[in-house]
Amino acid sequence: MSTTAGPTTPPEPMTPEIVSREGNSMVLSMGPQHPSTHGVLQIMLEIEGETVVKAEPEIGYLHTGIEKSAENLFWTQAQTVIERMDYLAPESNALCYALAAERLLGIEGKIPERAQTIRVLFSELTRLASHCVWLGTHGIDLGAISAFFYCFDLRENLLDLQEAAGGARMHPNYVRIGGVNGDLPQGFIDRFDALLEKFPGRMRDLRGLLQANPIFQDRTIDVGILTPEEAVRWNVTGPALRASGIAYDVRRAFPYCGFETYEFEVPTRTEGDAYARFLVRLDEMEESYKILKQVRKRLDTPGAVMIDDPKIAAPPKETIALSMEALIHHFKIVSEGFRIPPGDAYASVESPRGELGYYIVSDGGNRPYRIRTRPPSLYNLQVLKHIAPGNLIADLVVMIGSLDPVFGEVDR
Amino acid sequence: MPSTQTPSITGLATDPTSLRTDVGDAEVSRVDLAALRATMTELHASGYSMLLDLGAVDYPERTPRFDVVYHLLAMPSSASTVAEVGTPKRVRVLCGVDGANPVCPSVMDIWPSADWAEREVFDLFGITFTGHDDLRRIQMPYDWEGHPLRKDYPLRGPARERAPRPAFALKSNVVAGTPPSGRTLEALQAQVKAARERAARESEK
Repeated sequence: MSTTAGPTTPPEPMTPEIVSREGNSMVLSMGPQHPSTHGVLQIMLEIEGETVVKAEPEIGYLHTGIEKSAENLFWTQAQTVIERMDYLAPESNALCYALAAERLLGIEGKIPERAQTIRVLFSELTRLASHCVWLGTHGIDLGAISAFFYCFDLRENLLDLQEAAGGARMHPNYVRIGGVNGDLPQGFIDRFDALLEKFPGRMRDLRGLLQANPIFQDRTIDVGILTPEEAVRWNVTGPALRASGIAYDVRRAFPYCGFETYEFEVPTRTEGDAYARFLVRLDEMEESYKILKQVRKRLDTPGAVMIDDPKIAAPPKETIALSMEALIHHFKIVSEGFRIPPGDAYASVESPRGELGYYIVSDGGNRPYRIRTRPPSLYNLQVLKHIAPGNLIADLVVMIGSLDPVFGEVDR
Repeated sequence: MPSTQTPSITGLATDPTSLRTDVGDAEVSRVDLAALRATMTELHASGYSMLLDLGAVDYPERTPRFDVVYHLLAMPSSASTVAEVGTPKRVRVLCGVDGANPVCPSVMDIWPSADWAEREVFDLFGITFTGHDDLRRIQMPYDWEGHPLRKDYPLRGPARERAPRPAFALKSNVVAGTPPSGRTLEALQAQVKAARERAARESEK
């Protein structure tokens, strides 16, 4: 394999020259096993006393080559590994990938109405579930343990719904290219109703525990301020961008799955600090609740949940015994997948962390030629080295928590 | 119902990106490597304030071999309502980079957010970005051989490809002589040698 090494690759150092040691400063490696780094983030810190002079995040500890693996799987199989990128919001990934693939297939307008509604349902459920983890762990970082239990109790209810629909708690693999994998099971609506009933009270509890808490406010107000210009320059999206005063939400700017027909606000703040990001996410959870209530009304209308095209969606299992064509189509899709016409497309969704995008290239085969993810966490985390200097180490923990990175997605 | 699928094309598409102009996800333009910097500066000046994403694609049978793909977004820096943001303009810029001499100018000074994205393309594709002041591997270990997202890089790593294991030794890396990390034995030995030499030098001092 002589071709694998790049001919003009510059010599690479065995150990990186990350920080210089001058004057009174000292070098500290924080992580990758540090509990407050929300995964496997290592930050090389140059500190003077407790003040950060320079911070250089080191990532890649969770690199699993998902983009490479996906190139060697069928279009449908690739979805399995893609869901593992942002493991707190799996259905956002699945949905975005499906949208990009559908764009290349030219079937964007042919997804059934009910499938769109169910996709919206899961995109919001996954947002709530992800924000529950963020809120709980963010609280723990600052010493507020109680919120964690309330959050994870609520998250369990959300994951129960995912499990009911897709069969797995964390990675249901429910959103598929062409629609969703089967209609909602019996009893789902009852559990969904119970959740909708429980949510407002639980949200009140969470706000009561943290929002007006003087310690929490002291730790987060005026910490990690990000001005709107800087946020745009550093490519920050999602709640972090909206906390800096820019109302960019992919659900509104580039609507997908019929989000333009739902009524909801895009909460923004102008302060741009960690507390503003906290408030924006809490408001966002309330807005998701509003969307879910509208989804609930639309779920009463029955309909198809998968595109009616036997070349893309395998026919229902029960028809296989009755129809030769159904059997052939089923066999073809299971054994060699379907093909996507050659071309490239970009699609994006508003994941809990910001704009999640997929740029996919097809060469006309039954496997993706290239899948490039635009991971919101990667760009949101990158701004850390810009906002960290001049702050205390304790505040650095607050900043990481308020940016809410997920390392499955940063490292892929 | 007729299928939406087109018949499969013969052979590998050398440039799928030129085939579909009907996908209306962004305004697409292709620039020459020489004109890249000028185009990017111009786009930035005309309001494309956000470098949404930077990635690369490898087409081994095409000249130029690589495509570096930029997605830009025209985001106003003061837009406090959804109406003010509207639907920002999105543009995709593709730039071909030669396979024998994969060098591309960096846009890090225009958009600082290009930093990690360019490092990632360097790491996984081996494209060098001139003007990037901290170009080192970001996802793979520093002493890794090769660039995994290239199409000629084997899925399970070159070391495993070079030394196929006998069937009876599937679970034993020792027998096959392949380190489980996927690094080659030579790379590990070079690393050990360098570390010993470094220690020797320091003890002389």
